[in-house]
Amino acid sequence: TSEQIEHLHRRFKQLSQDQLTIRKENFDSIPDLEFNPIRGKIVHAFFDKRNLRQESDGLADEINFEDFLTIMSYFRPIEMNMDEEQLDRFRKEKLKFLFHMYDSDHDGKITLQEYRNVVEELLSGNPHLEKESARSIADGAMMEAASICVGQMGPDQVYEGITFEDFLKV
Amino acid sequence: VLAALAAGAAEARATSEGQLPGAAAMGTGTPPSPSGTAFEETRLHVFTLDYPHVQIPFEITLWILLASLAKIGFHLYHKLPSIVPESCLLILVGLLLGGIIFGAEEKSPPVMNSDVFFLYLLPPIVLDAGYFMPTRLFFENFGTIFWYAVVGTLWNAIGIGISLYGICQISAFGLTDITLLQNLLFGSLISAVDPVAVLAVFENIHVNEQLYILVFGESLLNDAITVVLYNLFKSFCQMRTIKVIDIFAGIANFFIVGIGGVLIGILLGFVAAFTTRFTHKIRVIEPLFVFLYSYLSYITAEMFHLSGIMAITACAMTMNKYVEENVSQKSYTTIKYFMKMLSSVSETLIFIFMGVSTVGKNHEWNWAFVSFTLLFCLIWRALGVFVLTQIINVFRTIPLTFKDQFIIAYGGLRGAICFSLVFLLPPAVFPRKKLFITAVIVVIFFTVFIQGITIRPLVEFLDVKRSNKKQPAVSEEIYNRFFDHVKTGIEDVCGHWGHNFWRDKFKKFDNKYLRRLLIRENQPKSSIVSLYKKLEIKHAIEMAESGMISKVPSSVSLSDYHEGKIKPLSPTEMENMREILTKNLYQIRHRTMSYNRHSLAADAGEKQAKEILIRRRHSLRESLRKTNSLSRERPVLA
Repeated sequence: TSEQIEHLHRRFKQLSQDQLTIRKENFDSIPDLEFNPIRGKIVHAFFDKRNLRQESDGLADEINFEDFLTIMSYFRPIEMNMDEEQLDRFRKEKLKFLFHMYDSDHDGKITLQEYRNVVEELLSGNPHLEKESARSIADGAMMEAASICVGQMGPDQVYEGITFEDFLKV
Repeated sequence: VLAALAAGAAEARATSEGQLPGAAAMGTGTPPSPSGTAFEETRLHVFTLDYPHVQIPFEITLWILLASLAKIGFHLYHKLPSIVPESCLLILVGLLLGGIIFGAEEKSPPVMNSDVFFLYLLPPIVLDAGYFMPTRLFFENFGTIFWYAVVGTLWNAIGIGISLYGICQISAFGLTDITLLQNLLFGSLISAVDPVAVLAVFENIHVNEQLYILVFGESLLNDAITVVLYNLFKSFCQMRTIKVIDIFAGIANFFIVGIGGVLIGILLGFVAAFTTRFTHKIRVIEPLFVFLYSYLSYITAEMFHLSGIMAITACAMTMNKYVEENVSQKSYTTIKYFMKMLSSVSETLIFIFMGVSTVGKNHEWNWAFVSFTLLFCLIWRALGVFVLTQIINVFRTIPLTFKDQFIIAYGGLRGAICFSLVFLLPPAVFPRKKLFITAVIVVIFFTVFIQGITIRPLVEFLDVKRSNKKQPAVSEEIYNRFFDHVKTGIEDVCGHWGHNFWRDKFKKFDNKYLRRLLIRENQPKSSIVSLYKKLEIKHAIEMAESGMISKVPSSVSLSDYHEGKIKPLSPTEMENMREILTKNLYQIRHRTMSYNRHSLAADAGEKQAKEILIRRRHSLRESLRKTNSLSRERPVLA
């Protein structure tokens, strides 16, 4: 809605200190975001070119208001008057946004190391936890994903990583 | 049995009366002079029957025994509980019993004493429901629940009251002596959706959790409004004049009743959690504290005429979070089982008593009043839900569909609370009390029987989303946490103080102050880690029991194996880990307990035994197949 766009515009101006674009450093000015364990990934997601619907890959240096809105539009609620196909597409887009957050090296697959990275970050607020537990948790979760996506695997198969289709299945 | 006992009681009373003065006289030392049997010596009785001595506990025990035997009887025939909800069957049994007592003694059977109901039978059910309520879902939908409970009940009460008054004005029905205030009072007590009935019916049909929490939450929260309205109109009926100030007093009273009840509950919940911090030396009485404090919150609230239901719900929800960590595993199991047992017994007794109390001479039938009451209840409920949903959908992220609305409206069952409230009406002020009683009984029977029986086929017909009982998975937990953090992060970026923001703030406050104070060995808790640890522990126990220690490595040992390598896991190891995980996942202790009250997770022992058998067979097969073993074979650590 237009009021939402206005609100976001004000916020954009606040974050960018009245400039036309935002850089990564501007996100440091949000106090509460400091406590968020996956802060890095969230900020990264704003600059991820795949999310900005640009054809290229990699990270943008700065984003303007239009890009800001594009990212925010992933969080729109589902409207009642959508038909099946639109609904499906909408959901896929949202899930793709999340997928990009997991897949930090942009190769289209979530490998074990990336997954471990995610779990470690999630649990980083917990000082008592050893690294080993985080690792084993990630391994376990990867296992579950493998069993859902691929089912029974033969002795020669090696599980590369979770692709987007597998991610949807999960 | 009871009829025979009643006859026997009459006999025994006669004999004991003869004995009693004798005994008293012996105590004081004067010579015996019995009233009826003058100068007749009483021989030594070889066999005596002294019923009045044990009458009250005896009858209570018999009732509870009867209720439980009836329950066993229902479940003997497999299909019955799925077609007809237990509540209906119990009422039928009660009706039968009431009929027998009525026939045997020619007087009305014991009516369910409202005090007994409100003080003893209702709290266990609400406690059980509150303790196992899915809090997260509850708070996410809190606005909607509150809206339905307060505004919805008001709407119903006033709507029913006024329309019934309109009907009463028609002189052909012979009801003109019922005043507007009396009608309003009647409306307020009959519009209360009843948590007992809702639980009894909804638990078998397994609708999705959100729908369930909406209806059930509404039935809990509307107690505040019901209490206020009931007392308000009752006082109004007895006052000569009504001033505007009284109406404002009523509104203020609502806030005090609701908020006061919740505060008492929360306060006592904290006290309970704090107490359990120190109970590690005397584990045996830990469960007792849980029950005592929650009951205390209920009766304290009732003492101040605040909402006892809200108090006990708040207390249970607060206690649940902290007590669970302080008490031992055995105490936790005891609390769980005992709570379910108490609530099950209470519910059964309530329904049987409702059946018994229906039979009797306290009825007055009037076609118009009764049928219009029923009609208006249904109409106003449906209208209310529809209108309110249109308004609240504007504020919700996920709007409620028509199917949801239909189930919410249809699930507005009335039960024992309005039944007891109507019996509490002072007959001096309400000369037509019997008419009210009849109308209430008809409405309750209709909702419990007809709506209760038909809701299951309707749910299937409408294809309402059901709850899916899936196994908790570590990856699911991870994803959920991830989503939460993403949402919170985005909210921070937008500068929007939304749901996630407040929940996050509460969590921080919780971690910083509350948990340190209330939990004994406080470690910052992560749901992912605790879930995973439980998996590992179960796995270790299983392995030790089935003697497979050195065959299959745990994933902990596996992660050492992969230090520094980015290569994905090889298939044999993956298969082993998969086996471990899939075989262990179903035995995790469910912390977010599903709301199904009557079936706890199947006894771990029997499942484990089966598991061990499967494992042994499997391991035999495996040991014949496996040629390579893994390089590290470490014993499993818990």
